[in-house]
Amino acid sequence: MIFLALRYLVARRRQTLLTLLGIFFGTVAFISISGIMLGFREYIVGQLVSNSAHVHIRAREEFLLDHTLDQAFFGQQFMHVFWDPAPSGRKDSAMVANPQSWYRRLAADFRVAAYTPQLTASVIFSNGKATAPAVLIGCDPLQQRQVTTIGDYVIEGSFANLAAGGNRLAVGDDLKKKLGVRLFQNVLVSLANGQPAPFKVVAIFKTGVQVADSQAYGALGDVQRVNRTPNQVNEIAVKLHDYTQALGLAKAWSALGSETVESWDQINANIFNIFKIQDAIRFLSVGAVMVVAGFGIYNVLTMTVMQKRKDVAILRSMGYSAKDIVLLFFVQGLILGLSGATLGLLFGYALGLYLETIPFSGGPLGSGTGHMLISRNADIYIQAAFLAIASASIASILPALSAGRLTPIEIIRAGAE
Amino acid sequence: MGIVVTGVGKEIGDPPTRILSDIAFRIDDGEFVALTGRSGSGKSTLLYILSSLDRASSGLVHIDGFDVNHTKAETLSHFRNQHMGFVFQFHYLIAELTAFENVLFPARKTGAERTQSAYAEALLGRFGLGDKMQRLPRQLSGGEQQRVAIARALVMKPKYLFADEPTGSLDSVSGEQVMDIIRDCNTQLGTTVIMVTHDPDFARQARRQIHLADGKIVSAA
Repeated sequence: MIFLALRYLVARRRQTLLTLLGIFFGTVAFISISGIMLGFREYIVGQLVSNSAHVHIRAREEFLLDHTLDQAFFGQQFMHVFWDPAPSGRKDSAMVANPQSWYRRLAADFRVAAYTPQLTASVIFSNGKATAPAVLIGCDPLQQRQVTTIGDYVIEGSFANLAAGGNRLAVGDDLKKKLGVRLFQNVLVSLANGQPAPFKVVAIFKTGVQVADSQAYGALGDVQRVNRTPNQVNEIAVKLHDYTQALGLAKAWSALGSETVESWDQINANIFNIFKIQDAIRFLSVGAVMVVAGFGIYNVLTMTVMQKRKDVAILRSMGYSAKDIVLLFFVQGLILGLSGATLGLLFGYALGLYLETIPFSGGPLGSGTGHMLISRNADIYIQAAFLAIASASIASILPALSAGRLTPIEIIRAGAE
Repeated sequence: MGIVVTGVGKEIGDPPTRILSDIAFRIDDGEFVALTGRSGSGKSTLLYILSSLDRASSGLVHIDGFDVNHTKAETLSHFRNQHMGFVFQFHYLIAELTAFENVLFPARKTGAERTQSAYAEALLGRFGLGDKMQRLPRQLSGGEQQRVAIARALVMKPKYLFADEPTGSLDSVSGEQVMDIIRDCNTQLGTTVIMVTHDPDFARQARRQIHLADGKIVSAA
């Protein structure tokens, strides 16, 4: 039946080509849109997973609610306490209460690849008349390089130089520009109401993310001194061997202490919600193209069944069964689906290669090389092929079944009339 | 074994219209039978019931000993492919295939196109179409198309050839050629031929005529 199905398709070239183009464009659209969206997503997730810690252990944050203090003041004495006014505000701590116990726990956990204590302080940098308020992160420089990829983004100097201590800084490129500072130059760092302390710039980094590039890193001890909080940390950043375990571990660790423990995907939940919306848009838009293409196949095959009724009669008289007739028309749709999908997959792949060469400097779509990032995840191609073949198959089956139901005698009688 | 028809009746439509009533006869192997009658007498309907393309509303049809009414559709399809050939008033060639491909198409059903290829060529050659095998149906005359259709009906060397007014759409010369071929099939190949015709001259070429009127056999000689 494939032999005859191919002859039918070749005989009506224009219809075949137009139908094929529908499937082809649908497939190309899916691959291109998915490639761009998932390329962007992979970049973002890559940045989130590799550039920052997988689990963040932070000082406790707790908000006072209407009945938070009932137990503390009245115990079980009353069923309900009416406050006027009701308690409000925060009951949190600025620092991790017992970091040493966390260090021991993390050091003993085989799932933890590295961890670093951090002290994040809001300070004012000044270089001559240039001043800039910014975040200064105190860390263990050697551990920090294992927990995050900050060391990879150093464009001048070396991040490891911070480890020597003695008030050294690694500053982001944006902050460097604001201060007009050069490598090995001193800047002053102070709290809002504190005495300035001189720090030497020993490294400059550029991640491409504006927030990150407006920050600075220093050795933990140096930042604790500037912040006047010796031996205290407000965060422990943890890198895992397998980042997919982050959520489970964060939930488990939350139960161990009073600190807030969050995984990288919990912190960035809003981004993942955007990804879900992207997926819905992607499938809806391409689904619409495929539905239109499917209707094209349905119309063409329905017309073909009408035109080929006599062929059906003669084929049945030759001994071809109803199943053979169904196959004859179904195969035509399937061939269109497979051909359109194959051509679409090849062209979509080639288009992806071309799109990658388009410069896209700046903005979240810009990669490190300044070009668009296109995902070539195998799932995209599998989904595209499935959508194309499924829409073609569904569109073909109804006309094919109607052809299979035709009885030869009715066709012959109709032909004789 | 042949074809045995017992008490066959046929109704069609709603409300039902009776086309055939109480048809009973036997066709032996190697016979050449003409079904004759005026238009609307039910001869074509009877032909299609005999050939298993249509089913009787009542009565029994036995072909080579098996009951057509109680045989699976797949089995009947296979039997038609292997043992029956059909020639219709209108040639019903597949427009997208050449004359040779049309003739060989029944053999494709069982993947026997290679083994039947030489026979298909021989048939077309015998029917004067040896130089037109690669032509599409639209490039052939009406008579040539009908000869291709007969070659297609014979390519599987069928035991039975069913012909429904095979000369009905042809001029007299082409009609004579087609009848010569059908007669030769019967005499030389031993094919059992059941032919519907309203042309008395062509009917007389059959060894037996079954004449129908108003859905009933009025004479069988």
